[in-house]
Amino acid sequence: MLEAKNITKTFHSEGLNTYALVGVDLSVESGEFVSIVGRSGSGKTTFLNVLSTLLAPDSGEIVYKGEDVTAMTASRLNRLRQKDFAVVFQFHYLLPYLSAQENVLLPYMKGMGLVPKEARRRADLCLERVGLSGKGTKLPGHLSGGEQQRVAIARALVKESSVLFADEPTGNLDKVTGESIMDLLVDLKKDGLSIVMVTHDNEYAAMADRVVSMADGKIVETL
Amino acid sequence: MNILTIPLRNTRRKWVKTLLLLVVFTLGVTSIVSLNYVSSVVGESLEKKLTAYGANILIMPKSEKLTVSYGGFSMGDMVLGVNDLSESEVVGAVETIELRERIAVVAPKLVSMAKVGGTAVGVVGVRWDKEQVLKGYWAVNGEFPTTDNGVVVGAKAASSLGVSPGSNLMLNDVLVTVSGVLMPTGSDDDSVVFASMSFAQAHFGTPDRVNFVEVAALCAGCPIEDIVAQIQAALPGTDIQALQSIVKQRMYSVNFVKQLILTVSLIILFIACCMVGVTMLSSVNERIKEIGLMRSLGFGRPSIFSIFCFEAMLIGSAAGIVGYLGGYALSLKILSMLDMAQGASPVFNAGHMALTGLLIVTVSVLSAFFPAWKASTVEPSEALIAL
Repeated sequence: MLEAKNITKTFHSEGLNTYALVGVDLSVESGEFVSIVGRSGSGKTTFLNVLSTLLAPDSGEIVYKGEDVTAMTASRLNRLRQKDFAVVFQFHYLLPYLSAQENVLLPYMKGMGLVPKEARRRADLCLERVGLSGKGTKLPGHLSGGEQQRVAIARALVKESSVLFADEPTGNLDKVTGESIMDLLVDLKKDGLSIVMVTHDNEYAAMADRVVSMADGKIVETL
Repeated sequence: MNILTIPLRNTRRKWVKTLLLLVVFTLGVTSIVSLNYVSSVVGESLEKKLTAYGANILIMPKSEKLTVSYGGFSMGDMVLGVNDLSESEVVGAVETIELRERIAVVAPKLVSMAKVGGTAVGVVGVRWDKEQVLKGYWAVNGEFPTTDNGVVVGAKAASSLGVSPGSNLMLNDVLVTVSGVLMPTGSDDDSVVFASMSFAQAHFGTPDRVNFVEVAALCAGCPIEDIVAQIQAALPGTDIQALQSIVKQRMYSVNFVKQLILTVSLIILFIACCMVGVTMLSSVNERIKEIGLMRSLGFGRPSIFSIFCFEAMLIGSAAGIVGYLGGYALSLKILSMLDMAQGASPVFNAGHMALTGLLIVTVSVLSAFFPAWKASTVEPSEALIAL
């Protein structure tokens, strides 16, 4: 469903070239949970950002359902980000002035049209799914770190996306909360969602169908 | 809930910042509106006062001047085809022009010669009520006539004829009473006798006939040429002259006040716009991660652009309406404090308020264009990813 072919990415800073990705290939099947592990600087987050279209590669192709994502127009890319791809960041990035429910509905608020009732119903269901039933009216500042991350996951789920990209989703959470988030991701995978997760935690990585190890901008091992 | 929810909630969350910006912008609009109201009223008042110093348009019968000479001997100019004007026709026509609201007074004149004893003197028939408006600078020793056979004599004429208020004198064969003597004006008025128009027409002309008509027009709202053109169209058989030097002198004072106020208004508006722009720019920098997140959720550049423009629009519309009302109230206060609105008063105009609101919204949105454009160019990778 999603395939990365020979992806390269180099960062240039103060006359230095940092080769973040060097000819990386990966394919993710529909409903597959892939975790990417590696040391800091191995290129895993860069790879996730390239896969999720947040960062353009220098070369190579990202093919999603047979279409080259790297060749898409800006508007097509926006539609892809809005509908098919969802990203959960290490930091939840909730808008502090919107309630939990409104944050979940944010993907529907990009135009002048009112958010449909069906979307609101889905937002409530997503909040219920992540264990935040009844907390939709709360502002992010009134939620714990774990709850905020759950709101961010609910925001990713509300669009019924095909692929969820998660960048260290448990990175800022305590052990118990982190485990509950991982259980949630495994449940979502069972529902048919494709997940690509970057993590430092080998225990959480092992909960995926496939673990990809990266070092020096290359995939060095697949388990 | 839609995209407008985002700027609405953000302005509510940052209410102190929003309020400060709103106060500054509103004060700017208040200053501009009050200054313009004051300038408009003062200009109108000033012009009304200046109108008391004479006419600025002259309506005369159409004539042709012919210079006659024969065998090297000049016989002077011959004026051909001079017909008197019909008073009712001229006054009626002036009252029908589109810019009639700008006409302050229409003062017809019938000029003739008469003999007092053995001395020839000019007699000018006037409508007293119009003439007193036109020549507010007249000061009379005595009073203006209340009867048809009362006259006012110019200072020089009174001296040469040896008359004073209350004297009787024979104009040709008609006995008249000198109701008053004009104080010296330094103009032609000093040398003539002023009689009522009906008296002059009865004894020195024919009913309804006049030689020329003086018009005092208020030129604050339109160029004098427009008024002249409209009178000319209404009275095709006449010569209409705008006394440009008089108009220019009057308009200089009025326009000076207006231009000064316009300059000050533009400076205030510019400063207010800078405030909006700078505040919006800092808001964009503060919210760079929000923007990145929205972009990662599929918000296109136009959507991000519109969020910031809408914030500016909110502030602009509130400042426009509150500022206009405040400016109107302030202008009333200023005019009453300075006692400058004699003969004129500010008129509240809902249409002006709507236009001002629209203008301020446009200007505030334009001020936010650069910050909004900057926000729209943010890429998720720049905003969210620590590379």
